[in-house]
Amino acid sequence: MRKFVATLLCAILVVTQVAAQNKTIRGRVTEDGKKPLSNTSIIVKGTNVASKTNEEGYYSITIPANGKVLKFSSLNFEDQEVNIGSKSEINVILANTVSELQQVIVTGYGTTKKATNTGSIATVKAADIENLPFSSVDKALQGKVAGLQSVASSGQPGASQAILIRGASSITASNAPLWVVDGVPINAGDASRLQTTGNLLSTLNPNDIESISVLKDAASQSIYGSRAANGVIVVTTKKGKSGKTKFRFDTELGNSDVAYVNQKYKPLDANEYINITREGLVNAGYSTAQINSTVSSLGEGNGINFNWFDNIMRVGQQKQYNLSAEGGNDKTTFFLSGGHFAQEGTSINSQLKRTNVNVRITNKATDKLTVGFNLNAGNVNQRAPLAGGAFGNPLLSTYFLLPTYSAYKPDGTYNYVLNGGLHNTVALSELDKRFLRQTSARGSVNGEYKILDNLKFKSVYGIDYNGLEEDQYNNPLHGDGLASNGRAFAYYTRYFNYVWTNTLDLQQNITSNGDLSTSTQIGYEAQKSAGYFSSLQAQQFPPSLSLTWPASGASPTTSSATISEYTFESQFASTNLNYKNRFVLSGSFRRDGSSRFSAKNRYGNFWALGATWNIDREEFMTNNTLFDQLKLRGSYGVNGNAGIGNYDAPALYGFGFNYNQLPGSGPTNVGDENLTWELNKPFNIGLDFSILKNRVNVTVDAYIRKSENLLLSVPLSNTSGFGAATRNIGSMENKGIELSINLVPIQTKDLRWDLDFNFSNNKNKITSLPNQADILSGNFIIREGQSLNTFFLREWAGVDRSTGDPQWYVTDKHQASSNIYPGANSRILAGQALPKFFGSLTNALSYKGFNLSAQLYYNFGNQVYDTWRGYYLGSGFGATFNKVKRQLEAWRKPGDITNVPKYVYGGNKNFSGASTYNLNDGSFVRVRDIQLGYTLPKAYAEKLKIGSANFYVRGTNLFTWVKDQNLPFDPEQGTASASNLNVFIPKTVTVGLSLAF
Amino acid sequence: MKRITIKNMIVTTVLFLSLASCEKSFLELKPPTSLTPEFALATEADLQVALRGAYAGLKNTALYGRSLMVLGDIMADNTYQSVLNTNRYTAFNLYNYTVTDGDVSGLWTASYTVILRANNIINSPIADNANIKQIKGEAYAIRALAYYNLVRYFASPYTVDPSKLGVPIVTTYQADLKPERAKIADVYSLINKDLNQAYSLMTVFTNSSQFSKYAAKALQAKVYLTMGDKTNAKAAALDVITNSGFTAISAAAHAGYWAGVAPRTDKVETLLEISFDAVANNAFDALSYIYLQSGNYGDMLCSTDLYNLFEASDIRKSLYASGTRGGLASVFVNKYSSFTGDHSDTKVIRMSEMYLIAAEASYPSNTVDALKYVNEVTNRRGATAIASDGQALLEDIITERRKELAFEGERYLDMQRLQRNIVRSKNYPSAALSVDFTNFRRIMPIPQGELDANPNIKSQQNPGWF
Repeated sequence: MRKFVATLLCAILVVTQVAAQNKTIRGRVTEDGKKPLSNTSIIVKGTNVASKTNEEGYYSITIPANGKVLKFSSLNFEDQEVNIGSKSEINVILANTVSELQQVIVTGYGTTKKATNTGSIATVKAADIENLPFSSVDKALQGKVAGLQSVASSGQPGASQAILIRGASSITASNAPLWVVDGVPINAGDASRLQTTGNLLSTLNPNDIESISVLKDAASQSIYGSRAANGVIVVTTKKGKSGKTKFRFDTELGNSDVAYVNQKYKPLDANEYINITREGLVNAGYSTAQINSTVSSLGEGNGINFNWFDNIMRVGQQKQYNLSAEGGNDKTTFFLSGGHFAQEGTSINSQLKRTNVNVRITNKATDKLTVGFNLNAGNVNQRAPLAGGAFGNPLLSTYFLLPTYSAYKPDGTYNYVLNGGLHNTVALSELDKRFLRQTSARGSVNGEYKILDNLKFKSVYGIDYNGLEEDQYNNPLHGDGLASNGRAFAYYTRYFNYVWTNTLDLQQNITSNGDLSTSTQIGYEAQKSAGYFSSLQAQQFPPSLSLTWPASGASPTTSSATISEYTFESQFASTNLNYKNRFVLSGSFRRDGSSRFSAKNRYGNFWALGATWNIDREEFMTNNTLFDQLKLRGSYGVNGNAGIGNYDAPALYGFGFNYNQLPGSGPTNVGDENLTWELNKPFNIGLDFSILKNRVNVTVDAYIRKSENLLLSVPLSNTSGFGAATRNIGSMENKGIELSINLVPIQTKDLRWDLDFNFSNNKNKITSLPNQADILSGNFIIREGQSLNTFFLREWAGVDRSTGDPQWYVTDKHQASSNIYPGANSRILAGQALPKFFGSLTNALSYKGFNLSAQLYYNFGNQVYDTWRGYYLGSGFGATFNKVKRQLEAWRKPGDITNVPKYVYGGNKNFSGASTYNLNDGSFVRVRDIQLGYTLPKAYAEKLKIGSANFYVRGTNLFTWVKDQNLPFDPEQGTASASNLNVFIPKTVTVGLSLAF
Repeated sequence: MKRITIKNMIVTTVLFLSLASCEKSFLELKPPTSLTPEFALATEADLQVALRGAYAGLKNTALYGRSLMVLGDIMADNTYQSVLNTNRYTAFNLYNYTVTDGDVSGLWTASYTVILRANNIINSPIADNANIKQIKGEAYAIRALAYYNLVRYFASPYTVDPSKLGVPIVTTYQADLKPERAKIADVYSLINKDLNQAYSLMTVFTNSSQFSKYAAKALQAKVYLTMGDKTNAKAAALDVITNSGFTAISAAAHAGYWAGVAPRTDKVETLLEISFDAVANNAFDALSYIYLQSGNYGDMLCSTDLYNLFEASDIRKSLYASGTRGGLASVFVNKYSSFTGDHSDTKVIRMSEMYLIAAEASYPSNTVDALKYVNEVTNRRGATAIASDGQALLEDIITERRKELAFEGERYLDMQRLQRNIVRSKNYPSAALSVDFTNFRRIMPIPQGELDANPNIKSQQNPGWF
């Protein structure tokens, strides 16, 4: 027996030795353990010995004596090296790195893979939106997605944010994209009624988001039918992974200050104001006695020089904390999180606090049935000051209140006597209140049942609840409450939106070998959004500052409640045909019924066709070494826009035109029973390629989308008793190119440099209007052949050097000029509010544990309108209001060359009137984000018994370069590009810490 | 892999479709706070509600809410803007307002909004009865009032040339109408037709906040005077004086009259006023707020030369208080005394004006009557009786109008119909001390918004405006 054992051992040793000298190894290479990877090359490292896998993925290779390591490589898969050792069979599964081809992309009502996707979909990952000092996720999207323009108009925390995807498709109807959170189309936008701005998305914590898909073309959008025209933003919240429960804690603290200040547009100090006023009174021809008494009444020599700007602007505090836990077993997984976010605006009276919780549980009840539940709920407490021309607007008082009036009396109490009936907003920020408490809950219960291996039924019942409580109190001593002896408002707004979606999904091979396969979905969806609004106001308050609720008011003046609802009922289907992942053809159809249209136009049909060709999968590309990926996509379809009021179709008589406290009625809506969907017909062609082992990744898209049957607010002659009526008339076109480039210029063991660049160009053109007639709307003209939101203004012709008078061109021909404010016929096309191109450049460097990244956002080609310019730079108009430093450049004597006319008390020849003087080039480049971080090495982290730790310092909007040195305020002023004395957009510096354990 | 069987497919589809069925009414949602016109104007009671809507339209800040009353005085020589101001009506103080002026377009738009509301009542097919007649009569009078204001502000005075362009006449609702301007004469003939209808249809006096038979007649007296038709003006004024049952306010009751805030049922003085109450008022934008010094505004002051017209004994003088504003000696206007709680109403037509019309219309043919009627006013105010004759008598009557109707929106319109230059006191900006009758800004422009939306009116802008 011993002998036998010894012989056997000896034999094994010999065999081993023999094999090591020249043995053959066999095995199989697969993608996922099953699917064979043909054509994979296998080389014995350090030798010339090579082999390849066959159709079934099998290979064999003879190992020379010095062979120790086998290297497997296959197109679109990560190389793998295996020590040969004593093995005789080596089976390998190659990781599908590269390839995003197999990467799952969330789309409408399901997912797709990059290889089978025919649409233009951009994806934003959690890491790009986590821990940012933004009050809502829409703000975080700026610069992240080619073709998506995200613009703020206010720096108020919780302010609404305008998003345009591939330009604006409608003139009057909504241009806002549809937001879908975990499969539920939600109400987004600003639902506040007493606040100057609000944002329903501010209750959603960006840290709870796992991914965002932006659906940009027909193939990806049209499954959402009538609400797809402005693009769809599909948000997926975080899911738990099974395994040991993991915790994660993130915190961030910082400060914010005004991002852009133009010194020329700071208010004058007391001396400067008095001097220019005296000058203006002389120029207006007042007598010396009148001049002296007037400047004295305006505070000359009273010793006060109060800086309203400094007293109203402030450094705001910023903080957030987020904690999450995830885990589970093979049956049940969970994800739990909670967060707190607090931000103060850049001026007094502006703040937001958010607290939110998030739960997701998924359970595999049986092999066939999976059930899930998720709920994302948040509460926001926001305080926003008044905006625009309101006397209680702190920003307005910054520019309008005289420096010769202080916010305080000598004894330290508030001063209530100010120039021009304006309010002491420093006092009001303490004495008045304006709050919004917004509670949102978004969630669903869902079930998925596998009827067959390839057929599943899914049902999602989702809810989207938003409750807004708004309170306002105006004290009886000073300000807006004075006339009514104090007043208080309490508004309650509630939107409850439910959506029930049922889908059937079928995966089916058409040929038995699976070369041709299809996946098909049919679905049904019903949605109802119910808005409820109650409003009350009471006046006549007791002489106290602490009784601030309407209950204390003696005279109730508003007591109102109403509802507003809409419903959608839809059937939809989509399918795609896939030939070997080389060719994919997709189609979708949706029939929508909407309550917004009359019975005869209630239903609309929407569809799309898409195709993709994965050229890299073609046999002729087998020997290609350049392209890691090469993909061509195209799509065309029709979707719709029903983004009008809930009751715009019928002619209506409204009530509330009361007289002697008895009911009165009047016509309120012209109505049009033929009103129907606005149509949007996007055509898209795209190319994706990756070269140099995926270190260069490029996506290019070109599109034309035509909007027809525009839901247009057509101006009527006011003699009809109406100003405008909504009609289906006119058409518009958006054309553009989008480019996204991702480069990895350096990639070594320790150092990695990532460079991301995106560029979007969109050209909007009105292609037809009723009777080719221009539509004038404020400072804009809507004219065939021009972009939407094109400014139409009298043309400024400079200051007359000899008289100091303002001058305008007399006609629209840029010829003769005059010092008489010209008529309406002299208005010219003066540039557009929408940028010609925009995008971002992001550089990210990581070296060992350190990482440094910077994102530059750029925006070119639009004009910004300074709405209130006439007041602070009107050459004497509104003379009892303060002026800005630029006013000091006023013309003083013949020969002076300046662009600011002679200052005449009361105004110099309508210089304050709207003209191209109010326009500034809005082009800018901004350091949107800059971040320096350090991740603790794993070894240390383990010693500290934590999973990982990451510290960082971040700056947001730190630097802003503008092209036009006379641009008064931040270049970001909404999609209409007009400033309105809103809270200034902040720049923020924060430090953060992320711990996982 | 399992294949899908026909049976499986059928079961699945049936199951699915059963989920997909939905109630038909799911997509039928009614507007919660509005009615379609056929339901809003179906009955007599509905017309009564619609009539209140027409009155409510007159409450607009651009009309009797504020602008009509302020413009009528600031575009003349009664009220001026303090150096300490909130910038309201600056352009009218300076007489440099433009075609884009918001007060101008407000006046235009708000007037036609009222006209639409009145038209829909007048054109109602509901069968006549006494109540319907009353409602329609009030609507006719409201429409006449709106056109009367429009044609006086946006067109040259009738007394210059009635064949010139007036304002578009719209008497039926048609959303897409792009009307041209009608002749001034045609507008006045519509106004008179409407007022005749109003006079013959109405039988009820509710209170001073609504038109009554004699309020319509009183308005017609003003209209005739504006047209220079003194015979008819006098006849209409005397009809009111003699037959209406209204009495003019006495000196003793004068202060209390202006302090009152509620519509009157006693037929004293007020033939028509637009009523504002504690609930429905224009808050900061109320007429009283721009005059009274106790709020934040108080922009508008009484001109020195107007103030100096009042004798010490004149009870009207107590409506004006001396003080200082913006470092300058100023006279404050306290005619509209309330901007908290129940707000001051805006007087549209008063009995005292009927006497003034009768007086002016009697001149020069019957100076005895002229003196008699003008002194019905002076003797109720503690002012010295007028005893002049000739041109001086006319001037005294015009001055008495100025004193009695100051800050009631009449002065500028008087200067228009009398085709007079406006000479303003030193309180006004030096650039705008005299505003000749020929100054193109004496007539408002067709607002830019109307020119932009209505191609047929584009070439019909008033002279001087472009």
